[in-house]
Amino acid sequence: MRHILAFLLLAGLPAPAFADVGAAVDRRILPAYEGFATAAEALAAEAGTTCDPEALRPPFNAAWDAWMQASHLHLGPSEEKGRALAILFWPDPKGLGGRAQRALLTGDPAALEPEAFAGQSVAARGLAGLERLLYPSSPPEADACPLIRATTQDLARLAQELVAGWEGPEGFAQNLLTAGEPGNTRYLAPGEAVQALFTQLVAGIEFQADQRLGRPLGTKDRPRPERAEARASERSLRNLTLALKALREMAVTLDGTAARTASAFDRAIEAAEALEDPTFAGVASAEERPKIEELQRLIRQIRRTALDEMPPTLGVTAGFNSQDGD
Amino acid sequence: MKSIRLLGALFACSSLTAPALAAEPAAVVKTYADLAEAVYSDSLSTARSLREAVGALTASPSAETLAAARAAWLAARVPYQQSEAWRFGNPIVDDWEGKVNAWPLDEGLIDYVDASYGESEENPLYTLNVIAHPEFSIAGTEIDAAEITPALIGETLHEADGIEANVASGYHAVEFLLWGQDLNGVEAGSGDRPWTDYAQGEACTNGNCDRRAAYLTAATDLLISDLEYIVAQWAEDGEARKAVTEDPQAGLTAMLTGMGSLSYGEQAGERMKLGLMLHDPEEEHDCFSDNTHNSHYYDGLGIRNVYLGSYARVDGSVLSGPSLSELVAAADPAVDAQLKAELDASVEKLAALKARADSGEMAYDQMLAPGNAEGEALIMGAVDALVTQTASIERAMNVLGLTKVEFEGSDSLDNPNAVFQ
Repeated sequence: MRHILAFLLLAGLPAPAFADVGAAVDRRILPAYEGFATAAEALAAEAGTTCDPEALRPPFNAAWDAWMQASHLHLGPSEEKGRALAILFWPDPKGLGGRAQRALLTGDPAALEPEAFAGQSVAARGLAGLERLLYPSSPPEADACPLIRATTQDLARLAQELVAGWEGPEGFAQNLLTAGEPGNTRYLAPGEAVQALFTQLVAGIEFQADQRLGRPLGTKDRPRPERAEARASERSLRNLTLALKALREMAVTLDGTAARTASAFDRAIEAAEALEDPTFAGVASAEERPKIEELQRLIRQIRRTALDEMPPTLGVTAGFNSQDGD
Repeated sequence: MKSIRLLGALFACSSLTAPALAAEPAAVVKTYADLAEAVYSDSLSTARSLREAVGALTASPSAETLAAARAAWLAARVPYQQSEAWRFGNPIVDDWEGKVNAWPLDEGLIDYVDASYGESEENPLYTLNVIAHPEFSIAGTEIDAAEITPALIGETLHEADGIEANVASGYHAVEFLLWGQDLNGVEAGSGDRPWTDYAQGEACTNGNCDRRAAYLTAATDLLISDLEYIVAQWAEDGEARKAVTEDPQAGLTAMLTGMGSLSYGEQAGERMKLGLMLHDPEEEHDCFSDNTHNSHYYDGLGIRNVYLGSYARVDGSVLSGPSLSELVAAADPAVDAQLKAELDASVEKLAALKARADSGEMAYDQMLAPGNAEGEALIMGAVDALVTQTASIERAMNVLGLTKVEFEGSDSLDNPNAVFQ
């Protein structure tokens, strides 16, 4: 198959037309960003009326839910100006976010003005930053309200920029949809757009296994429950499950024939939903840990299945992704 | 493969500037292995020079011997950074790399730190300070550190308690011992360790100068033995050489995987863009010495070296041979021409960043400051060029019919039952 593909690419022919980039863009990517923009706007609006954490938690959780539909897309506008990093900065092993936020809480309020705030460290902003303010482990050193408002407004702005960056005649979606056409310097062949999306899928699956589960799992001798994502809001498992579901939809939209991959997703999603451990605290328990390890194995199995099953249909395999480094 | 070569030949004949005779994969991967042996041998020889300078510093501490040791460290980084293009793609290199170039580090593990260094929620050894403590415990185990040896550093301290930030060995540990913490934030200036940190007797500053000298010596010795290991891996009959030459297709895959992974995920992402988005000078790669601009530049050069099959050695000679570029050109001249142009562009952008830092007008950490538009443009210019070339590296893989190597070899992946054992 590789040789046939190379032949097709060399000959300048379109890749096999089994990959539905148009559906992936129209039915998955654009609605995901629009949904996040709506949720972020609602969160900012609510924060405009109250800073009561209890009142803000529902729209905050709705916004994080919405972001999980799009968080695996590391291409185009989300990669520009560090937007994806600013929306969700995790992991943060050195605790940079908390430190930067404390400086903002007690510092010059001018740093909270929209333009200045947009230039602050990505670690201090976004959903993880807001989580520290809405689920504080200790009372804040100063009135958190201005920082809460600045963070929600910043999120709404970022969400709007993502929608604007993707849509319209100059939007990034056009790059994917016109791959290989004259004037498209980003994707020089239709297969390149397919490869870009398939790469996002594979990298997204890797992230769930290696980071969302791998960090708290640590090693058997040294489990790291404190390293789970979003422990304060108890969203660790929820984020993982939502991300798996979004990735599954992405896979079957891109390649409607990927039945084995879909089944592999279903097995992992089922295992995730059966887990009654919202923060993966069970990594440190002899009884619970094997269930979380099994979930990680099932997720790695999805990746293996997708890499085995989808490339022949799509005509491409995975390219380089942002997690290729350390 | 035959069909590709045949088609490549057709293309070559039809293009106006026909490339030279197509290189053979076996010859291309031999060049790759030869270059690796050379770049690691240069890393070793410059590390040995560093060891001599460290010996002079500890034997007769002075401002001059400290400056000479720092100069030797900077010189040692030139070949080593170029070798990073061999890291991803070769499991033998990637598994070893953490011993010599792990970063970022919680330097309080090794020596004294400023009060502003603070606390860590994740690392109980954040301020262990081995130099000041001949005895301590790690995760409940008592450690006798009366004598600071390469074995203590490599086997007990490095990544102690399973925490990656506990970097006890390698270039950056030595760098910290030569420069000290950079306390200038996003202002100009590197670490400013006084030479008297190595003075013996009453002149000693910050205490334990004998143990500090012992640590520096042992860490440099360990760096040398680690580099000796990797040179042997690329020598004739070395395992790393065999892995790429016995199966040339696997070798070509390793070459392009190394180029793409370093360009995008590691260099453009982890090392450059992330630091900029965090505005955090500790995200500088060579943060104690303020050498980050050089470190980035030589990384970029190394990526191009792999593609062009050419490396300028530290003695000034140039080693070159049949190249990946020639092989890609034979398959698709347009892909080769674009990739070559993009590699030149990224080296140029990195050179611009390096020139600005070398000018003394704007250090790399200053470029990271919030609101520094010029610094941001310099860094993002290089980031964008590295991201752009990654797409062409993928194209080169496609025209050669190669798939990015995956060596995520965890137990649970390869052996589904392992997790239950």
